[in-house]
Amino acid sequence: MSAVAAIARRPRTSLTLWIGLALVGIHVAVALLSLVWTPYDPTGMTGGRLAPPSWAHWAGTDRLGRDFFTQIMIGSRIALIVGTSAVAVGALIGVTLGMLAAFATRLLDDALAATLDILIAFPTLLIAMLVVAASDTASLGTAVLALGIALSAIVARLTRILAKRVLLMDYITAARTSGTSWLGIVFQHVLPNIWPTLSVNFALQFGLAVIAEASLSYLGLGAPPPNASWGRLLQEAQGTVYTAPIGAIAPGIALLSLVIGVNLLADGLRDIADPTRRVSR
Amino acid sequence: MSLLTIDGLNLTIDGKPLVSNLSLSIGPGERLGLIGESGSGKSLTAMAATGLLPRAILPSGSVTLGGQQVIGAPDRVLDALRATVAAFVFQEPLTALDPLLRVGRQVAEPLQRRARRDGRALAGAALNREVLALLEQVALPQPERIARSYPHEISGGQRQRVAIAMALACRPQLLIADEPTTALDVTTQAEILKLIDGLVRERGMALLFISHDLPVVAEIVERVVVMRKGVAVEAGPVREVFGAPRHDYTRSLVAAAKAFDAALEGTP
Ligand SMILES: Nc1ncnc2c1ncn2[C@@H]1O[C@H](COP(=O)(O)OP(=O)(O)O)[C@@H](O)[C@H]1O
Ligand SMILES: [Mg+2]
Repeated sequence: MSAVAAIARRPRTSLTLWIGLALVGIHVAVALLSLVWTPYDPTGMTGGRLAPPSWAHWAGTDRLGRDFFTQIMIGSRIALIVGTSAVAVGALIGVTLGMLAAFATRLLDDALAATLDILIAFPTLLIAMLVVAASDTASLGTAVLALGIALSAIVARLTRILAKRVLLMDYITAARTSGTSWLGIVFQHVLPNIWPTLSVNFALQFGLAVIAEASLSYLGLGAPPPNASWGRLLQEAQGTVYTAPIGAIAPGIALLSLVIGVNLLADGLRDIADPTRRVSR
Repeated sequence: MSLLTIDGLNLTIDGKPLVSNLSLSIGPGERLGLIGESGSGKSLTAMAATGLLPRAILPSGSVTLGGQQVIGAPDRVLDALRATVAAFVFQEPLTALDPLLRVGRQVAEPLQRRARRDGRALAGAALNREVLALLEQVALPQPERIARSYPHEISGGQRQRVAIAMALACRPQLLIADEPTTALDVTTQAEILKLIDGLVRERGMALLFISHDLPVVAEIVERVVVMRKGVAVEAGPVREVFGAPRHDYTRSLVAAAKAFDAALEGTP
């Protein structure tokens, strides 16, 4: 069953879901648009320096006179790519590890759990910085990989706990008795049952990843120019935040609206994935 | 040849004994009750019988199910064995079904697996028919509606019937019912008990019936094993064990059941 079909079949879909869809939809649309059109050349001097918002420059210009709105549009693209890929990397590694731990012998499980606890004690950003430092060039790819690896520990721990709880259920034992293999159990029962909780967590992590990428870029460890990530925009606006506050406000709003949108969307989708939460028929 | 033979089973966790030197056997079509207070090791014994013990619990001794040694056997061997020999019905109807799957889907799953094992294809309308037939056999009203429902949309007693249907779908030789009526109200309890009794007779299945409730066990099985703190204290035909209990613990069980009956009938 596709999510779209499920939404369409149910007219009373929660408001959360629609607002989330709208916010994320706007960002996706803007990101796609930025591939073929932006108001100005992102690297060109297009007006006065630090110009306030006007009809010609909706979000003003930066200290080199580049159009700020153009850069935010491109930043949308980067945020979406970084968020999605980092969560995908984190989910792939994390869910696999967590599932292994849940099914593993006690010794291996304890070892994995302890390792994860130690990893989680390190701030996500610190782990990401270490990974970036270990690879000698800063690029979008390294940033994504670094964030994905950093996030995977959290995903793994959550997956392990959730999966263990499902594995205690009688229907698992019944399925095992009727001859379902471990792999069958994972894909038929465990993953679907932990998915609603995991997906909400992925949305949180998407937000974390976008913010962490902004932080990495802010520290000069993220995507190098001309990738105008919101983090870099914020960093550049730092020195002029009192004279031209729009430089910090605009990327801030962009960042916030995307993170909130993704979280609302995940909340709404969880309600669809879980039949016990659906509006009764 | 017996279906299930447990011989000198010991279960330990971190070196501490949970079940000690337990032996029992069930032949084809036989009905055995396992009775004992909560925590006496009944469920663990049933798990050990099918090789589904939690990993922390270590078994020793011998368990043969359908002629195959269970203890130490790899999952690959046990998967195939379990599918044809034994099926479970559990105590808690809330956790007996996957909350995310429609009832029909859940019943279809073991049906299809069984068909595949028998070398026939089962899908589409034929599968649907078998699902509905099975739901009818466990006396569920409006099987079409139930098949379309999610577990939370049907009652506890109905969920337990679905769980029984799923167990039957595997066409097992042995049905293991672990306190299948404990979580239900008294009327539903009696109905489920009657259903299990009828189905087991009809299909000539063997039954391992686990309960802490003496009258319930006495009603449905031929022989009993009485467990206490992981040890079998008494075993034999129902009439002998409950008619002339030899062990103090069994005596106290019988006395309690009698007192309860008396209280129900209003005689002092
Ligand atoms: N997964 C487990 N880990 C540790 N101890 C357990 C586990 N399952 C059961 N036990 C212990 O084993 C004993 C017997 O449990 P059980 O077989 O479930 O009892 P019963 O079914 O007779 O009520 C109990 O003392 C219980 O605490
Ligand atoms: Mg029990």
